[in-house]
Amino acid sequence: MLKKIDEHRYIIPKSFREGMTVEGLIYANEELIRQIEKDQTMMQVANVATLPGLVGRSLAMPDAHQGYGFAIGGVAAADLETGVVSAGGVGFDINCGVRLLASDMSLDELKPRLDALLNQMFRDIPCGTGKKGVIGALSFDELDRVLKNGAHWAVEKGYGTPADLEHLEETGRLPNADPSAVSDRAKQRGKDQLGTLGSGNHFAEVQYVAEVFDEEAAKAFGLWPQQVVVMIHSGSRGLGHQVCTDYLEIMQSAMKKYNIRIVDRQLACVPIKSPEGQNYLKAMAAAANFAFANRQMMTHWTREAFQRVLGRGDLKVVYDVCHNIAKEEVHMVDGKPRKVLVHRKGATRAFPKHRPELPKDYYEVGQPVLIPGSMGTCSYVLVGTERAMEETFGSSCHGAGRAMSRHAAKKNITAEQLIKELREKGIHVRGASKSGLTEEKPDAYKDVSQVVEVVHNAGIAKKVAKMIPVGVIKG
Amino acid sequence: MKAGFRILEHPADVGIEATGATLKEAFENAALGLLSMITDVDSVDAREERFIQLKGTDIQNLLVKWLSEILFLYDGENFLVGEVEIESISPTRLEAIVRGESVDEARHSMKTDIKAVTYHQLKVQEKKDGCLVRVFFDI
Repeated sequence: MLKKIDEHRYIIPKSFREGMTVEGLIYANEELIRQIEKDQTMMQVANVATLPGLVGRSLAMPDAHQGYGFAIGGVAAADLETGVVSAGGVGFDINCGVRLLASDMSLDELKPRLDALLNQMFRDIPCGTGKKGVIGALSFDELDRVLKNGAHWAVEKGYGTPADLEHLEETGRLPNADPSAVSDRAKQRGKDQLGTLGSGNHFAEVQYVAEVFDEEAAKAFGLWPQQVVVMIHSGSRGLGHQVCTDYLEIMQSAMKKYNIRIVDRQLACVPIKSPEGQNYLKAMAAAANFAFANRQMMTHWTREAFQRVLGRGDLKVVYDVCHNIAKEEVHMVDGKPRKVLVHRKGATRAFPKHRPELPKDYYEVGQPVLIPGSMGTCSYVLVGTERAMEETFGSSCHGAGRAMSRHAAKKNITAEQLIKELREKGIHVRGASKSGLTEEKPDAYKDVSQVVEVVHNAGIAKKVAKMIPVGVIKG
Repeated sequence: MKAGFRILEHPADVGIEATGATLKEAFENAALGLLSMITDVDSVDAREERFIQLKGTDIQNLLVKWLSEILFLYDGENFLVGEVEIESISPTRLEAIVRGESVDEARHSMKTDIKAVTYHQLKVQEKKDGCLVRVFFDI
């Protein structure tokens, strides 16, 4: 059924299942495709290909694994006039994303104070299950300002500087956000969770640049060998989860009216131009802004921890990317520019140089693409390419991708063993939950280096630098 | 059919399969299954009562709404449910009383943040010898 077209591309033909209006395309090497074939990823990529108004192909990145409705690692673009928007195509954790901060010190300078730094970060960044933010519960009026202004709200409140905003996707504020499209329930869930890391796969990691592959791009991004950097992976918390829950319900009810039939209930969708579709996009943007503000606040506390422990808190924002988002963009389809809504469900925007969306500092090299690895392995910075514009609506992978269930991960190892093993590798861990820690053990994931090799060799992003962790804060 | 619940495997997340002699019992056990992933249910005292009244478009939708309600009480109102009692249930309506208390970090150890209830492989099966429901959560 699957048609291999080259070393890194596998086509799912329209004959794979009834109702596919476009082909599926999976980026993978032989080993990764074998892993992908084990779960329902292929069927989910094919299911997405049945949605109305899709253009190009239904895509899956090499880190793809089974999700809900959409595969995680999926990309799908719908025509802005005739296509649909799916809340499940963005996912529950709206604007789950990654931010990278660059310090001005080398690993050798940090080492003697590493444990003290981790202790400070673990104290200052609220993390773990059910953890509330240190700023207390926000009033709904204040929360509305967060939803409207995202990271800009955080900077106005003293969390970071205006210069930070220039290095965030969309400057950390999606312009079409409308807090009135967000339910009181969602606000209720989010009002005391702003400025919290969360649990699950979310983390803050102290890493160092172990290898530079592209000197020109690394220089533009402010990265150099042995440099200490910090990666923060977090999302929109309960607020975003509730927005998705609410709009799945709204979309399911509205579908009949628009005569839309779907093959999996989790794929509920409505026309982009419908009132329900527009309201979802306004609410999604608001939730995305909550996540941008969230990462901005954690950036501030990370800087404070560096300042207190090392006396050097000048960490620069390299970039901040969304992993779960839908964006209106213009892409060439069949040789003509076309306005589309790109769903990225566990995928990263990967725009090349000379795109107007890029910060001026990166205009001549391209957008940084931040790829977190699993705990205790390595992470990457890539750069977007023209090829991604041609093939993947300017998108690339987002991480390692799970290979083992959380339950199976817990079976083989205790938290104490895992902490010891990581320590032997030079990685110090602070975790709020022992069971959460073992669920995220490195071999529960695919090999991030393989995922990145596929993306690099397929040309949909290029390697710039590899980072190795020395300290992990887990929720 | 033995009443209760068990945890299911999913590459990224986690689900439960709950059973009961009746639909009511299976729905109650599904709620207890969800709660057991959030905290140790035995540590929750039934100090306060909340009344839940829901309408669904069909039985699957009703199950998602029921569990989403329990999740919201915890994540939105900081209220941990320890006991559930469904008073009446039909494929499109549910009325229940739940009992519990506000989260107390000193007594309640929190296990997992559940993001949402999904429709992924959702199943509500009514048979002669009982009822089975299956549901996956995004965590």
